[in-house]
Amino acid sequence: MAGFFTRGIILEQRKEPALSRDLRKFFNVNTSKITIDRDAYPPVDQLTPQQIIAIAKEARVVDERDGIPLHQKLAMAHDTGVITVVGDASDDEPYISSQLNPLLKKSELAVEGLGLAQRAVGAQHVYFAVYKNITDIFTKIPRKIGGVEVRRVRGRYPAEYRITDEFAKVRPVLLIGAGALIHLARAVLKGKVQTTCFITVAGNCVANPTNLEVSLGMPVMQVLERCGLSAEPNIIVLGGSMTGKACTDPDRAAVTYNTGAVLAFYEDTKDRRYKCIGCGRCVDVCPENLTPFYINRCIEHGRLRDLPFYEIDRCIGCGTCSYICPANLDISANIKAVRSKLPRGKGGSRPDAAERP
Amino acid sequence: MLLKDHNAPHIKARETNRTVMGDAIIALLPLYLMAYYFYGLRALALGGVSVVTCVVADLLCVLLRGEKPNPRDFSPIVTGMIIPLMLPANIDYAIVVIGGLFAILFVKQPFGGVGQNLFNPAAGAFALMAISWPEKVFLYPEPLTRLAAFGETATKLTEGPAHALKLGGVPVINALDMITGNFAGPMGATNILVLATCLIYLIFRRTVSWQTPVTFLATSALIAGLFPRVSTGALNSVVLELLSGTLMFGAVFLLTDPVTSPKRGLSKYIYGIVAAVVTMMFRRFGGYEQTVMFAVLLMNALAPVIDRLSESILRILRRVHLEPRKRRNARAPRRPQEKKAAQV
Repeated sequence: MAGFFTRGIILEQRKEPALSRDLRKFFNVNTSKITIDRDAYPPVDQLTPQQIIAIAKEARVVDERDGIPLHQKLAMAHDTGVITVVGDASDDEPYISSQLNPLLKKSELAVEGLGLAQRAVGAQHVYFAVYKNITDIFTKIPRKIGGVEVRRVRGRYPAEYRITDEFAKVRPVLLIGAGALIHLARAVLKGKVQTTCFITVAGNCVANPTNLEVSLGMPVMQVLERCGLSAEPNIIVLGGSMTGKACTDPDRAAVTYNTGAVLAFYEDTKDRRYKCIGCGRCVDVCPENLTPFYINRCIEHGRLRDLPFYEIDRCIGCGTCSYICPANLDISANIKAVRSKLPRGKGGSRPDAAERP
Repeated sequence: MLLKDHNAPHIKARETNRTVMGDAIIALLPLYLMAYYFYGLRALALGGVSVVTCVVADLLCVLLRGEKPNPRDFSPIVTGMIIPLMLPANIDYAIVVIGGLFAILFVKQPFGGVGQNLFNPAAGAFALMAISWPEKVFLYPEPLTRLAAFGETATKLTEGPAHALKLGGVPVINALDMITGNFAGPMGATNILVLATCLIYLIFRRTVSWQTPVTFLATSALIAGLFPRVSTGALNSVVLELLSGTLMFGAVFLLTDPVTSPKRGLSKYIYGIVAAVVTMMFRRFGGYEQTVMFAVLLMNALAPVIDRLSESILRILRRVHLEPRKRRNARAPRRPQEKKAAQV
């Protein structure tokens, strides 16, 4: 029942039809020759943890959840010691199924990768985590995938950051994205370097919403043309519909490790000029129990000294406040902009995971 | 392809300011229907005059400030609809016009217009009218008397049950009449059944949060039961205090005004409780029989303070509950260890 009392928003998931369709391939270069020297390592069942981590490093596997190279995460977890490894397939944002779909369609590889990650870090338990509140799907998510239990993360929209709460009894937990597990399994079994990633192409302008395995560095426009545009979009989003970045030059923007999704929307851009009426809905939905109303007012009035009082550093940037705002204020974007200016320790943000060396 | 730079999130909830204010208008319409049933066409004419006054005054102020008027902003309509409902149906049009002008020109717009006002415009207007014309505002026509829309409205005027309570008497009203509003009183504030329905509608539409009105009504009932003003027992006191006068109307439409009420869940409870205490104190020791609007004005001034207070309480609670958990989470892999990985 833990999820019932969590704050946040209930979103229409709109994962269909992309989720139930097959995972399709779309490559622009032949990368089958790019392999690591697999023969330098012993067979799969004789690998030591250090060798698995070395293979992950050599194959350049990157976790698509946070953009951190997988070998760094595994080495860190191996040193500190974790009890549980969780394969994360919780696509809690609408339209996206780029972790869940590969998990269901390539389940053998994902289970194999999870087993390898477990051996690499010496964990006792393994689980997969999916989001529970997906109601409009045609395929049923099984209780067990290849003998591994699938846990459902309950609750409202920002669910991904609450996965560790679901595994409170078996802490500490290492979270690895389902896509990275598949790439790890490929690297260990066949010696393949990660040259592809999984993305969802969807949105109300996409004719055939589907999940694709595309080459890294593929221009976004080619991906959209592969799936077909049924109408002229005016917003193209790289990443989730709640947290992704708008892309203004799809011919030059490329698909990278942690893109996750390419969404094309047409929205009525009629300018709705409203002022904040102080309805307090942003306060009701904030999953971190912050007060976006007062934070936004402080930012508007330039009272940056008050921001640490409202604990702006706890903001996780989920965008629920902007989503719910009846006045269409860009609260989330304002907070993000001001946090990059503030000094660290006074509410300033950490650099994004992807930008880390 | 013309792409625009758009901030996340890229999907939006369908509700806008327009639907929030539209919900309030929808909730106010049945009150006007009941007022039409009780007092005839004059009730509707009063509402129309008030709405036109408020909208025109609001438009003038917006133009004076040099902004572009927004036709989707319904807030002056809501203010204009609320003001006559707190008044007797035979009130002069001039008083309603002055009240509407005061609400917009003095209470709402000097602070910066919609969403910026410190005090509820309708409550401010009622305070002005009650202080300036008490002999007209607190004398009500009997219900089911047809009042002419224009011209002389010579009819028998009586004091409401709240006045009898104020003097220490016990108003004698049939329970059914009390619930359906069939007694002398403000034009729209006597129909308890309709008001309760409006409250439920607004709560389910999430236009108002349930915390404030429910705690306000519960605390009012508690105080009325513990310290009855009438001599006929605690239960009778609760019924009379809650159902006579504008307490229910204030709880549904004035106290829950989104602009001037506090935002945090905890402060909404505090707000409702303190507002109830203030209202009942005013009723007992104050000079007027309708006291909710004065209590609302006082509480509006306190709302930011209450929010600040509950934010401080929340900060302390977070320190107590979340700090140990945070330390445990700090063990999760965060900073990559280049050295160890390089050794492998």
